[in-house]
Amino acid sequence: MTAASNYKLTELMTIRCAKEIKDGEVVFVGVGLPIVVAAYAMATNAPNMIMFTEGGAIRATAPLALGITVDDPALFTGADQTFGMLATMAALQRGECDVAFIGGAQIDKFGNINSSGVGDWTKPSKFTYFAGSGGANDMATSGKRVLAIMPQDAKKFVEKVDYITTPGYLSGPGEREKLGMIGGGPDCVVSTMGVYRFDKKTKEMYLAEYFPGQSVDKIKASCAWNLKVSPKVVETTAPTEEEIKVLRGIDPTGFYLG
Amino acid sequence: MNLDKRMTLKDAVAKFIHDGDTVYYGGFQIMVPMALTHEIIRQKKKNLTTVESSTDVGGLDILVGAGCVKEIHTAWIMNWYVKAPYAIRRAFNEGKLKRYDISNFGATSAMIAGFLGVPFMPILGNIGTDMLKHNPTDLQVIKDPFTGEKITVVRAWRADVAIIHAQKADRLGNVVSYGSRGVTDEFGAMGSKRGVIVTAEEIVEPEVVRSDPDRVIVPYFKTLAVVHCPWGAHPSACRGYYGLDIRFSQYQGRYERHAELLPKFLDEWVYGCEDHAAYIKKYVNKFGQAGLDRLKPVLGFKPKLDVDYGYHDPACWKGVPMYTDDRLKAYEEALAKKGGK
Repeated sequence: MTAASNYKLTELMTIRCAKEIKDGEVVFVGVGLPIVVAAYAMATNAPNMIMFTEGGAIRATAPLALGITVDDPALFTGADQTFGMLATMAALQRGECDVAFIGGAQIDKFGNINSSGVGDWTKPSKFTYFAGSGGANDMATSGKRVLAIMPQDAKKFVEKVDYITTPGYLSGPGEREKLGMIGGGPDCVVSTMGVYRFDKKTKEMYLAEYFPGQSVDKIKASCAWNLKVSPKVVETTAPTEEEIKVLRGIDPTGFYLG
Repeated sequence: MNLDKRMTLKDAVAKFIHDGDTVYYGGFQIMVPMALTHEIIRQKKKNLTTVESSTDVGGLDILVGAGCVKEIHTAWIMNWYVKAPYAIRRAFNEGKLKRYDISNFGATSAMIAGFLGVPFMPILGNIGTDMLKHNPTDLQVIKDPFTGEKITVVRAWRADVAIIHAQKADRLGNVVSYGSRGVTDEFGAMGSKRGVIVTAEEIVEPEVVRSDPDRVIVPYFKTLAVVHCPWGAHPSACRGYYGLDIRFSQYQGRYERHAELLPKFLDEWVYGCEDHAAYIKKYVNKFGQAGLDRLKPVLGFKPKLDVDYGYHDPACWKGVPMYTDDRLKAYEEALAKKGGK
């Protein structure tokens, strides 16, 4: 197992993120990068992962081709059930999904995610719309734990998101419980710079790992609040040649990974 | 049954979509009703409200950009291949479009409520967010009458008319769709008040549809118009017929991006085409037959389950004596002697 000499940060992000999925877990896979991570996890560390897609396919096997959309026919061909979004979302509400796996445009220190837009919503001329929630809100409300993946810069990692589309810990400890949310909330965020977890007491996001070539200082500069850093912070293991090869087989044209 | 609901795209839209209607906009990231979208733009319909859960390839973006829509209720809209909903963004900024946001399952539940004919549906998501704060039209928190706890509810969405694309339909209006068929087409369409306009890749005989009725997502009584329309979802995908046209979605998206350019796209690809066949012809002229050929799906995934929809004829019971035995007979006779039943 030789460390890869040449890889993109998006590739390391994907490979590292896949390791957060435990074999046999029910993973609700959102739009974008999670589709690649899930396919990679099924091909490596989590062959018995149960893949739930937003479009409504339930799979015991990895898709035959890369899903470009969440209801891509490739995700449905050879699936175990294709009942539709009703079936997978209902499983979320019944509390049967271990991992809610989402992307997003902006995240804050309590793990709240914004995929609606930036600016002041109450002043229409000053609000720039993104796509909207999609299923991320439903997933993060009711999945047992939330795994998030998103490229990092100081505009994306902010103290407080402009618009809460998808609940993290909202304004802090106890908030989710007060509103009756059945899911446990954010557990891990993987970016293009490092890996984050959440303090059990304060519910604040902290840095747990930094990627090779990154540093704690560089990461703090790419984060708009005063990011706390674990005393046990470590460097993430670089991907191996084999891991990169498997991943590039999944996204051969670089549709997701660039 | 002599019904024949087949008609042209033009007639279907002219007859069944009226200014000011609420329209269920079918599909998801695939099966987007693009031919219908173009025809609505061609006929310059105005003041529409749309309901759907999520929609891609910029279909709704150009419908808004063309000035047909005043209000959208949605969980997710963009042209994923340029990573933004440009025309929608501009219309919102200019105060020309009202937007009501909700989560995917919130939207799906709103349509399930419409499908069921009930006024609202409880859901677990949306609470604690700005969607709940800014969209009281669709989302409210009430007291659960059974437990006394707080519960979020979503208002039932009942469109006036639904537009969807499907693989097959028959002349009566039975709509066949399989695999990924959008998130909510069966609910959004069935919850519509007046009914459904469907474009289909193929028209098949009713007998053929009736040989596999499990695949019918909209039964004929709900259908207003059936339009035979190959490539009717292009540039989005239609399972079994063609894949997503990423390059065309990107091309369209680059026009969506600029307020000055979008009208040029509409002039060439929508107003400049008499119907969807003309649009596809233009595509072949401009980007070549190879562009369409590239969208051919990998086939060979026909069901291997041996399914037989056979039934049982109760006529076989004619003349068959009652089954009995000595124990049952003795018990019934003793009971009768006592005058019991």
